[in-house]
Amino acid sequence: MMKKNAMIDRYRWWEVVLMYCGIFVFLFFVLAPFIEGFLVSLKPLGLLFSTPYRFLPENGSFKAYFTMWESVPEFGRYIFNSFFISTVITVVVLLLVVPASYAFARINFRGSGTLLGAFLAVNMFSGAVLLIPLFRLMRAYGMLNTYWSMIVPGVAFLIPTAIWLLSTYMRRIPRELDEAAYVDGASHFYILRRVILPLAMPGITVVAITTFIGAYAQQFIFALTFNSKTEFMPLPIGLYAYFGRQEVIWNELMAASFVGIAPAMILIFALQRYLVAGLTAGAVKQ
Amino acid sequence: MGQLALSGVKKRFNKFEVIHGIDLDIRDGEFVVFVGPSGCGKSTLLRMICGLEEITEGECTIDGIRVNDLPPVKRGIAMVFQSYALYPHMSVFENIAFPLRVEKLPEAEIKERVMRAARVLQLENRLQQKPGNLSGGQRQRVAIGRAIVRQPSIFLFDEPLSNLDAALRAEMRIELTALHQKLKATMIYVTHDQVEAMTMADRIVVLDGGSISQVGAPLELYHKPDNLFVAGFIGNPRMNFLPGTCTAVGPEGATVNLVTGGTITVPVEAPRSLEGNPITLGIRPEHLSQAGGDLSIDVVPTVVERLGVNTVAYAELEGVGTISALLPGSSPVAPETPATLSFLAADCHLFDAEGMALTRKVDSSMPIPAAATA
Repeated sequence: MMKKNAMIDRYRWWEVVLMYCGIFVFLFFVLAPFIEGFLVSLKPLGLLFSTPYRFLPENGSFKAYFTMWESVPEFGRYIFNSFFISTVITVVVLLLVVPASYAFARINFRGSGTLLGAFLAVNMFSGAVLLIPLFRLMRAYGMLNTYWSMIVPGVAFLIPTAIWLLSTYMRRIPRELDEAAYVDGASHFYILRRVILPLAMPGITVVAITTFIGAYAQQFIFALTFNSKTEFMPLPIGLYAYFGRQEVIWNELMAASFVGIAPAMILIFALQRYLVAGLTAGAVKQ
Repeated sequence: MGQLALSGVKKRFNKFEVIHGIDLDIRDGEFVVFVGPSGCGKSTLLRMICGLEEITEGECTIDGIRVNDLPPVKRGIAMVFQSYALYPHMSVFENIAFPLRVEKLPEAEIKERVMRAARVLQLENRLQQKPGNLSGGQRQRVAIGRAIVRQPSIFLFDEPLSNLDAALRAEMRIELTALHQKLKATMIYVTHDQVEAMTMADRIVVLDGGSISQVGAPLELYHKPDNLFVAGFIGNPRMNFLPGTCTAVGPEGATVNLVTGGTITVPVEAPRSLEGNPITLGIRPEHLSQAGGDLSIDVVPTVVERLGVNTVAYAELEGVGTISALLPGSSPVAPETPATLSFLAADCHLFDAEGMALTRKVDSSMPIPAAATA
């Protein structure tokens, strides 16, 4: 016998069909570009521009996934660069944001509200608007054409969101825990390390993931403007290498895109384990 | 040692004054309960003693040392919070050991002290568990354990039992009293529950709107409340207040003419100037009976609650409002059936127009024989 759902979750057969149709339409809308990209990566280049256009590849193969490494031999380096830059950005952001969020969540200091608002305001400018002043700054500090030229602005633009996310999370940790620790003689740093950090782990994981994804996504514009050295180029610029003088190797480009995001995907799925809810269960009686 | 003195202690949040100058001396080893309705400032006062709130004005001294500007840990106090405030990611052992780890004591001593506290609180089998797996009573015991290991001279409790259910609360009340006798430390306990106050306290401090209304032993507050507020606050169901006029003052006491009709002479020390002035007569529900007395009033009960051992009858009286009577369980009272309630003059309290009590001519240290067990 089938397990019965709660009363409110029981549906007629046609309601179930409707729901799945809805889910399918939604998912298709979101995933269609990826599906098409994947199908293109399977097609031989010559068949890409056949008329009438066929979505399903005839005699498709994974050949492009092997030839892409020959067409652009440095591609592995680009993946590493992307990964490296995003990782450094994430680590630096976390190092800065954890104490800052604790301060915003727990210490009453003059202008904390204004400062938080200012962070939000900074977020409203996209990096593109500030490219020229940033370029001058980078040049003044001699950071052009180094990893730093992509890491420093990356960190700067990701900090505000991270602080907002994490300080909101920390505010939800009961204040009595801090007070109890303070009464027992703990300092702010001790409280942060022994009490707040372990309890904020799910929040910190969320911040780490969003920061990592943000860093991955925003590299393009900084790399394009502040870096001209091939060996430091991240993945989004690296993909340009498939744009030849005569033609674009579309199938390899698509294959490279999928290979390029694979490490990030794996990392994110691994981090997801730490997104456990209910870690504060039993702390205080609400 | 755990002797605490507050003198002229005030607290202002911005311009708003919430504590209006508290003077209080607490002896070493005493169990003092702060009681009052919500918003009376009892928790704020405790947090000021603890060091979680700044003392705006006045002085707080512990064992003769001014502690206004000392952090909590230097004051020799430990606090137990209403919400337990346990660290959910640490085991019971680590929770109790937390203050000792902060102090950086050697591992062996930490272990020994935690084990001793666990033995006192019967938590030995729970030391490796997380607080999330414990029941409410056990969690509260862990919180108390965390306070004990510091070996403070003064314990502060902020409504520690209000999150427990009624049966567990009664049990923990007894445990806390036993703990007090065992540790012989000073304990300051905040609650809004007068049963906790009456049962546990050596002395009760009744707070009202940021000021001390009265300080005294539980029975002292019951028999000789200083004012209308304390009279109404201590005792359950609360005292009945009947308005009237003082018609004469003599050596036997003050004679009162009640709005409900009838005249009674209450044995109090009253000044002559009271004659002709409005006065409030207070009579506790447990002192009303159907057995006859110095004065009777006719009522028609609207609601009758039968509790088994007792029966509580409520009636509306014109010019007074609702009055209640605590009668024996077998009392024949019934709703909508007229009844006569009587009381003795010796059981009455009198309050002048300002709400201050006139001193009763009774010995508050002795249980009052008449009608006390009605």
